[in-house]
Amino acid sequence: MKTFWMFLVYLLIALLVIVLGIILGDIGPWYFAWLVGTVMIVLISAAGGALLDTQEEEQESSRA
Amino acid sequence: MINGTVVALSRWQFAMTALYHFLFVPLTLGLTFLLAAMETVYVTTGKQIYRDMAQFWGKLFLINFALGVSTGLTMEFEFGTNWSFYSGFVGDIFGAPLAIEGLMAFFMESTFVGLMAFGWQRLTKVQHLIVTYLVALGSNLSALWILVANGFMQDPQGAKFNPLTMRMELHDFPALLFSPDAQDKFVHTSIAGYVTASVFVLGVSAYYMLQRRHMALAKRSFRMAALFGVLATAGVITLGDALGFVGGHAQPTKLAAMEAMWHTEAPPAPFNVAAIPSQSQQRNLWTLQIPYVLTPLITHTTTQSVPGVDTLEAQAVQRIKNGIPAVEALKRLSSNPNDPQALTQFDAHQADLGYGFLVQRYAPNQDVALATNADIAKAARDVIPQVAPIFWTFRVMVAMGLLMLAFFIAAVMFTLRNDAEKHRWFLKLALWMIPVPFVACEMGWLVAELGRQPWTVYQMLPTWMAASSHTVGYMVFSLAGFLLLYSIFIAVEMYLMVKFIRLGPSAHGRESPAHGGGSAGTYAPAAMLK
Repeated sequence: MKTFWMFLVYLLIALLVIVLGIILGDIGPWYFAWLVGTVMIVLISAAGGALLDTQEEEQESSRA
Repeated sequence: MINGTVVALSRWQFAMTALYHFLFVPLTLGLTFLLAAMETVYVTTGKQIYRDMAQFWGKLFLINFALGVSTGLTMEFEFGTNWSFYSGFVGDIFGAPLAIEGLMAFFMESTFVGLMAFGWQRLTKVQHLIVTYLVALGSNLSALWILVANGFMQDPQGAKFNPLTMRMELHDFPALLFSPDAQDKFVHTSIAGYVTASVFVLGVSAYYMLQRRHMALAKRSFRMAALFGVLATAGVITLGDALGFVGGHAQPTKLAAMEAMWHTEAPPAPFNVAAIPSQSQQRNLWTLQIPYVLTPLITHTTTQSVPGVDTLEAQAVQRIKNGIPAVEALKRLSSNPNDPQALTQFDAHQADLGYGFLVQRYAPNQDVALATNADIAKAARDVIPQVAPIFWTFRVMVAMGLLMLAFFIAAVMFTLRNDAEKHRWFLKLALWMIPVPFVACEMGWLVAELGRQPWTVYQMLPTWMAASSHTVGYMVFSLAGFLLLYSIFIAVEMYLMVKFIRLGPSAHGRESPAHGGGSAGTYAPAAMLK
């Protein structure tokens, strides 16, 4: 149940971010936004991968 | 006049080849940047697993890329073979982005794809990473120029019709490149590709996790795809709204069809969640509405009116009447380019030249001077595209976008807690989600292109006069040939993808138990990439 509520909270945050994006960007400099957004997406995704390594190392050391 | 069946078959042929091609494109656009993200981690951390990931997903990318290129090439030729009047009419503008796409992006992409595939042993880590980023940039720049060209068809900016050369000419390249439609469409399409690739990588990773194979690779790929996908989905929805906002101003007829708005209503107008639109009766036979929602959704205000079909048709009648003198003047200028009266008449009415062309097909002997009010009314009805398919394809696309947002949020939650493999129901769902973004992309393309009708170039060149004058037999034969060939391509893609996914990553044997690796890999197709 907790997972479901967390899911709903995150979903609401995502929708809020989208609405903010919509309000701020009626006619936006979208090419620029694409460049910045792509770099951000790639870096966050890469950081997520590296974070998993850290999480797994922590789990292993706590098991040892 | 070109045979209506030939025009319809030309449309079918282009639609079918484009829809087939567009099955490959989004995965290419997104997978390249996901590969770049994986390789970035490899270069910064030096961990072999990320190299294995980049090589494995790179292999699937190559299969998709090869088939994407082969299906895309024919479309460029189709402009000349099946849409020769269109190519002559707007070649001055359309040719520029298409040529840049071919010369710059395509060659850049293809060259660096070779280096990416065969350069693992020949380049340093950093050099290879740069190459991967250049492949990603090249594939997306390739899409940029195509979408700039398409943006011109949706909202012709930066060009003017020259009555002396009888074609449209480019006079403002920045206006063409930076048109709001082109910008929104490129970013929306590119990021839709990111979403597609994320769902694909996540789904395949979930397959391995279900089988408890290649766990190190699967868990990391799952994590990276989930984060990549959630951000991209938020972006694609935002840009989808921006595209609707821009399109609402530039193409009100498409917007009216997307929303099945037959009548202009006082703001704030209700939003049709579901409807059964009837084109012949120009009304919805049944609707499910949410009051007050449409106006803020479309205009981002509560007071601005959204024109319905009735208003747009009434406006079209006036524009057709204004366009008729432009076509008449053009006729006179074609026989005497130095006729000053004709030139003055053309200048006064050129804004509605396309509407004059629109009524030409109904006028006796195609002489617009003889067009009756009934002919004008028929042409005015034509400005509204087929409402039902546009209304429903749009809704399917939006529903799938929202579904993917919810899916990625759940995926991010599970992966950040590092327990995604425990939620087997979700892993099974992830497998079933793989076709969703592909279908959503196809739906988006249909909304964009069906919504542009009856125009090839919006408000400038009607579709009925844009096609080549082939025979019906030729069109049927070539359409059947393309369908057969492209179906084979799809079957080959599916076969190769499934085969290589089942075989798994080639370097799997290198995974240490500490990384959660299972049994040694059963296959080593790494030669393909080395």
